[in-house]
Amino acid sequence: MSNPQRIRRRTIAAALAAAFAGAAFADETCNSPYTARLIKGQEDYVHVWTLGVEGVGDGSDKLVTIDANPKSKGYGKVVHSHSVGGRGEAHHMGFTDDRKHLWAGGLDDSKIHIFDVGTDPAKPKFVKTIADLAKQTGFVGPHTFYAMPGRMLIQSLSNAKDHGGKTGMAIYNNKGAFVAKYDMPEGEVGVVKGDGYGYDIAINPRKNVMLTSSFAGWNNYMMDMGKMVKDGEAMKRFGATMAAWDLKAMKPKQIFSVPGSPLEIRWSLNPKDKWAITATALTSKLWLIKPDGKGGWQAKDVATIGDPSKIPLPVDISISADGKGLWVNTFMDGLTRYFDLSNPEAPKETYTKKTGKQVNMVSQSWDGKRVYITSSLLANWDKKGDDNEQFLRAFHWDGKELKPAFEVDFNKEKLGRAHHMKFSAKGGKKT
Amino acid sequence: MPKAARRLSALCIALAALLVAASAGAHREEHRPVAVRPVMDYTPPPAGSYALHVIQRAPEGRVVGADGRLHSLSAYTRGRITLLSLIYTYCTEPTGCALAYETSVELRKRVLAEPRLHGRARFVSLSFDPLNDTHQAMQAYGGSYARDGKGLPWHFLTTRSMQDLKPILDGFDQEIEMELDERGRPTRTISHMLKLFLIDREGRVREIYSTAFLHPEAMLNDIRSLVMEEDAGRR
Repeated sequence: MSNPQRIRRRTIAAALAAAFAGAAFADETCNSPYTARLIKGQEDYVHVWTLGVEGVGDGSDKLVTIDANPKSKGYGKVVHSHSVGGRGEAHHMGFTDDRKHLWAGGLDDSKIHIFDVGTDPAKPKFVKTIADLAKQTGFVGPHTFYAMPGRMLIQSLSNAKDHGGKTGMAIYNNKGAFVAKYDMPEGEVGVVKGDGYGYDIAINPRKNVMLTSSFAGWNNYMMDMGKMVKDGEAMKRFGATMAAWDLKAMKPKQIFSVPGSPLEIRWSLNPKDKWAITATALTSKLWLIKPDGKGGWQAKDVATIGDPSKIPLPVDISISADGKGLWVNTFMDGLTRYFDLSNPEAPKETYTKKTGKQVNMVSQSWDGKRVYITSSLLANWDKKGDDNEQFLRAFHWDGKELKPAFEVDFNKEKLGRAHHMKFSAKGGKKT
Repeated sequence: MPKAARRLSALCIALAALLVAASAGAHREEHRPVAVRPVMDYTPPPAGSYALHVIQRAPEGRVVGADGRLHSLSAYTRGRITLLSLIYTYCTEPTGCALAYETSVELRKRVLAEPRLHGRARFVSLSFDPLNDTHQAMQAYGGSYARDGKGLPWHFLTTRSMQDLKPILDGFDQEIEMELDERGRPTRTISHMLKLFLIDREGRVREIYSTAFLHPEAMLNDIRSLVMEEDAGRR
């Protein structure tokens, strides 16, 4: 090959690499960024993992599927629902690496329900329930489901012994068999002492680093929120650390002091960036995790979310595909806030809209043009009476204004409390 | 047409022509697409300093070897440390089969550079497509690697039929889809998630690599780790 040809080939290869890098990243809350078949265009369905409410419909936890394609006749309507029987505090979900299956966990009963959403995403098919998490690991409250090649990494929130915050992670293979467990770090790792708590997971394969955050145990998340905030001892039982792990070795390398319970963690999806961001629930801050210049990592408080003295309770975040923007939902005031992350050292809140009386999860489409919001935080933490709205609200985002697209009222439809969302799209023909 | 739009249109046509010319050139000269390698920006932990847990058992099945005869898959997944990839010969995805091939070539060099690893490992490339990828096509795809078994044999296998292939795919939890064109007709593109399986001499899967994790230096340490484990077991 002549030199000009070689150069031309390299240029095209680089362009393709950039294109693939861009296309490969979609933002869905808690989504492992290296799953397959990510949705590059319009999502067809939004799956909502929904908490059953006694006396409402069948009262059971269920996976609710809503048509989200504007070109579809069923746009904005519930097209499928599968109840799992009983109430186990339905909370988070995660796709397997091949995006064929969706794993959905219960924070109370510690059951993990697996659905096939790859074969026909309009009609997720229940496959099996994993009920041996506590027996295999001693952990309870499966929260984050993070896809790794051929297996699922599961972050728990609590333990079977005292239902406190000390917990760990488990790995199951994609067929649902237990593989290994890892305790969250306690004691000093570097200069900071680990608290043994866990919440979210975020992996950066090119740096071989896994970040974890910390929340609270069963005793807290199953307690009535009004009662808990008056309980001084309970309020001490929240996580205040993050950890950076050697992913390959699955060993903690550094602990960071991050007061006020750091929750969801997102790496910037821009391949040029080397930072991640999180929000602290109780102290209402954004923290940046970035290289410390000495081969390690550091955590840095970079912004305030609303008025921390009013405890707006930032509960979920969603980062844009280019790493330039971040949606933040604050539960107590029902606000959806957009932060400009052009300078991640100094995020700026540039847009705010009241999207509900209570809001929890926020997920944006990979192109950033659609934003979805749900309402439920935890069964015993949701607001009471008229403030207990339960919904999925879809919005169009044009960079300036969130404009309503459609809404499903989960109370009116007798579905329950709307929690975690995942997107799916109709796939190709199976061989 | 406004001037800016005309310029953009001309640029698109030129780029398209360039892509066609480049892909034609690539086919003539190398017969393989250029792989896009994942970035590796870390020093992997030393071999033997971490655990490689048993993820699952490698499935059994019937495959067609270089001799055109049927063999049990376990003949290629037991007795040595095995790196198995599922590919098809006419795949054009830069982060798919081409990456599996180039990563294996790079890893092969590293394994062969360490005499203590000679005779301890093998590579296996197994086709997704029993129809087009005959055993002759697989040997042609493997080229000199298929013929040179010194130190590190590399087997290029296929299956006799989809009936034989399916239990193997199911066992490795690998789903494939035929991509369709605008009219819903099958194209020559098989959509699959690239995964390479590291299997110990007992036939147990100890690591799975997808595109973002295909880092030859880390993979070499995994092979070294399994060799150290074997040697410790013998003592």
